[in-house]
Amino acid sequence: MGSDNPKKLKVVVLGGGTAGWMSAAGLAKLLPGLVEVELVESEDIGIVGVGEATLPHIRGFVENLGIDEAAFMKATHATFKLGIDFQGFGKIGESYIHPFGSFGEEVAGVPFHHYWLELERQGLVGAFGDYSMAVSAALARKFTPPTTDAGLSSTYGYAYQFDATLFGPFMREFGLGIGITRTEGLVTEVRRDPESGDVTALVLKDGRVVEGDLFVDCSGFRSLLLGDALEEPWEDWSKWLPVNRAAAMPCAHIEDEIEPYTRAIAMPAGWRWRIPLQHRIGNGYVFSSDFISEDEACEALKASVEGDMLAEPRLLRFRSGRRSKSWSHNVIAVGLASGFLEPLESTSIYLAQMAVTYLIEMFPLDGKIDPRDRDEFNRLVDMEYDRIRDFLVLHYHATTRDDSEFWNHVRTMGVPDTLKGKMELWRETGRIEKYSDGLFYDASWLAVYIGQGLLPQRHDVRAGIPDPQQVARAMNGLRGAVADEVAAMPGHRAFLESEAARLAEPV
Amino acid sequence: MSAAREPPRRVIVAGAGQLGVLTAVALRKALPASEVMVIATPPDPAALCDRIGTALPFTNRMHEQVGLTEEALVTGCGASHRLVMRYVGWSGEGSQGLAAYGALIDAKMKTAFAREWGGGPRNAMTGKPAGSVGEALALAGRFAPPPPGQQHPLAEVDYALRWNVPACRDRLIDLAEKAGVRHVAGRIEAIQMGDDGLVGALAVEGAGPIPADLYVDCTGPQALLLSQMPGAGRADWSAQLPIRALLFGQPGEPMLALEDHCTLLPAGWLAEYAGRDGKQDVLALREGVSEAEALQMLRGKAAGAMPLAPGRAGQSWIGNVVALGDAAAQFEPLGWLNLDLAHRQLALLLELLPGNAPDPRERDEFNRRAALMADRVRDTIALHYHAPAAGAVFGDLPLSDEMALALDQFARRGRLPFFEEMPLLVQEWGHVLDALGFVAGEGAMQLGGGGSGANEARMALEKQCEAALKSAPPYAAWMAQVLRG
Repeated sequence: MGSDNPKKLKVVVLGGGTAGWMSAAGLAKLLPGLVEVELVESEDIGIVGVGEATLPHIRGFVENLGIDEAAFMKATHATFKLGIDFQGFGKIGESYIHPFGSFGEEVAGVPFHHYWLELERQGLVGAFGDYSMAVSAALARKFTPPTTDAGLSSTYGYAYQFDATLFGPFMREFGLGIGITRTEGLVTEVRRDPESGDVTALVLKDGRVVEGDLFVDCSGFRSLLLGDALEEPWEDWSKWLPVNRAAAMPCAHIEDEIEPYTRAIAMPAGWRWRIPLQHRIGNGYVFSSDFISEDEACEALKASVEGDMLAEPRLLRFRSGRRSKSWSHNVIAVGLASGFLEPLESTSIYLAQMAVTYLIEMFPLDGKIDPRDRDEFNRLVDMEYDRIRDFLVLHYHATTRDDSEFWNHVRTMGVPDTLKGKMELWRETGRIEKYSDGLFYDASWLAVYIGQGLLPQRHDVRAGIPDPQQVARAMNGLRGAVADEVAAMPGHRAFLESEAARLAEPV
Repeated sequence: MSAAREPPRRVIVAGAGQLGVLTAVALRKALPASEVMVIATPPDPAALCDRIGTALPFTNRMHEQVGLTEEALVTGCGASHRLVMRYVGWSGEGSQGLAAYGALIDAKMKTAFAREWGGGPRNAMTGKPAGSVGEALALAGRFAPPPPGQQHPLAEVDYALRWNVPACRDRLIDLAEKAGVRHVAGRIEAIQMGDDGLVGALAVEGAGPIPADLYVDCTGPQALLLSQMPGAGRADWSAQLPIRALLFGQPGEPMLALEDHCTLLPAGWLAEYAGRDGKQDVLALREGVSEAEALQMLRGKAAGAMPLAPGRAGQSWIGNVVALGDAAAQFEPLGWLNLDLAHRQLALLLELLPGNAPDPRERDEFNRRAALMADRVRDTIALHYHAPAAGAVFGDLPLSDEMALALDQFARRGRLPFFEEMPLLVQEWGHVLDALGFVAGEGAMQLGGGGSGANEARMALEKQCEAALKSAPPYAAWMAQVLRG
């Protein structure tokens, strides 16, 4: 069948940031029989180092590469993450946690939140998050890994908060260890086949020529191959996601305990992240330059962090949107070169991981690209981007804030039709439009809707049938059980320190 | 502040076959404060959901949900278990392939099989080891339903049931009576529309007008209610689905088996399912087969015949009328998907259960997903007609874009894309394609993945099969013991 010695493709990965080394490592590790990987990077170009906060999917990636969790955490100064605490999005002074986990349990085929809405109306119920293990543990600043049985302690997941500028180098070390060739150099020319238009080689500043069959563009916002060379059109989403700058700045811890969650704090012209790592806290103000100047934003960031500043703010410029196709000709863009969705839900690393995973799944066979596989890759990637986009837009649009130009704009702007339909269904009936593919499901949508005070007009008829006192007792029982489980968990720092192998060297 | 919807005062289920009665019980259980009434319109022999006594594993769940236990089905309704479908002749003269239920089929392992046997169509004559635990059990004739909620070698084996239809319907009627479902027999003479575009009442022969807030149409392919609604339309499936008539055989000899057969014939196909009170045959005919030819295939005995015009309702929920079963979609019973689709659409109705007045957005969401469910059933069936030997019988039929993508991906890469609302799990779907003789290609991970894990997966399956065979009694012995009580 010829399957024993398939022709190996020469894959050139351009860019040595997070996406570049994730792509190179993933391809080299999982398709050793099909690829020969060379990564071109330049020490003269800094990396964005996006994504200090991650989603639970990263665990699968690390595991698939055969990387030990503790070693990985040690190298990236990682802490555990149970969700994101959104402060002041729906309304100033209100906050909620979007957890990696569920809320309550369905009863007789009716989702939990309908009963919660019914009791909420009658004033018989606690906060929605009281019925979520992940939310309750996060607020109590506790952590232990979930169990694999069917009990309460299996109803949450976790991710990491890490130093993204260390994640790239960690992946680089791993990549070099499995035989990836690293080439130092600045690309000055992209050679293309005059007939097919395919990229044939990268010419470096010193004249060296790096030839390849397949080019993975991880050049970040520059999008040197897909954007510059192939001129793949850009779909601009800034009308829905107007933030276009971020000022990032680390600060020192101010207390012993480490929050096992990321904070996203609404600001007058955007929002601010707060990501606690082992040795420091990452901070950043994501804002729209239409509503605040870069200098003002940096000042606002400095004024808002609690711990000692460990560096001056670093400014990033971006825009939300994606390339019409992430794979064109023989160029596949992964990460920021393919598109950008602002970091509100920590999706940057997920999007890079997702693209690498689909690339492995749709990798050319018999040494040549089949356009059908390229189309299928693009279908899958587009679906992921578009669904995440709607979910992000919701965070801005579902607000009552009218205290700044920025919030007035996002509150009153038009939204994508796909989101409009979802929101109408929720408002009128308390139901979530169902899909099984993509990233965010029912529990995530509920967390944001309810957390931002966007309650529906009506909920399921069946939630109004049983005796409310009886339902309230059952719910209290659940809340108590969640509280008991959480009480028995160790503190986040205590758990981190219980295994020395995952602790970074003192800085 | 969100308020619960007002419950409907009355829900009418039109049609009193096994689907209508089960629907009424399910609605009554969901809405204990509402009156649920079944209107027993004259039965329609062309209603396949009411006529055929088998479905897929999902139906077992639906039966349990309304209180019809598997034990009651086995001891009181002649039920028996099907672990696999055997497809005969679909990839050429004498070819056979088995397709099991459940998720126990490992993709890595499947390609290992393909490699080991040169990727040729699977043929029962080659003496290959079983590709699933269900297959191993069926070939050995051993099985007993595993005790619920326990670690057990059989716990992950999924199965469909077949049952005696009148007995099952009687059981459901008992449950309906116990639950307080009301019952009115009579022809629906008129539908009284209100000014709001909703049905206000049904005029029932001998019972006068009966008002209700919600109407569920289980009257079979005529769709007595839905077809009368303004805007009722139809999506025609006759381009993709070539069967134009069904013939039902006389019940044969009693038969106990863990597998059922579906055989490709020059005239169409023949599906046979085992029954403890008689084997059932359904003959599906393409266009241009004479009745005489057809009768010959059933050895001269037919219990009934019906023409078939496949398609689905454009929208199965219009106003306050929701159609289920044959009233929502009509298609040949290949793979026994008819009642399965009806029950999944009922589950969708229960998920989006309206109050006393339907909400247009809820209705849109129901119609969106119900249409997806129906179209994916059409697609799943349509794929059968693209099996290697089927083209000679049915000609070159069009495929939906999704299925064209799926077949291409399967053939070149051994990959099946995920589609929302598919009737089969991806693993089951792959098994059906395999049984029909589609050859799975090898994907990048199999070709270039270093240690592919295929051998490990195969050894794990062999172990699982061994453990399952050891723990399972001969099926006939188990059945005899259960029936002794």
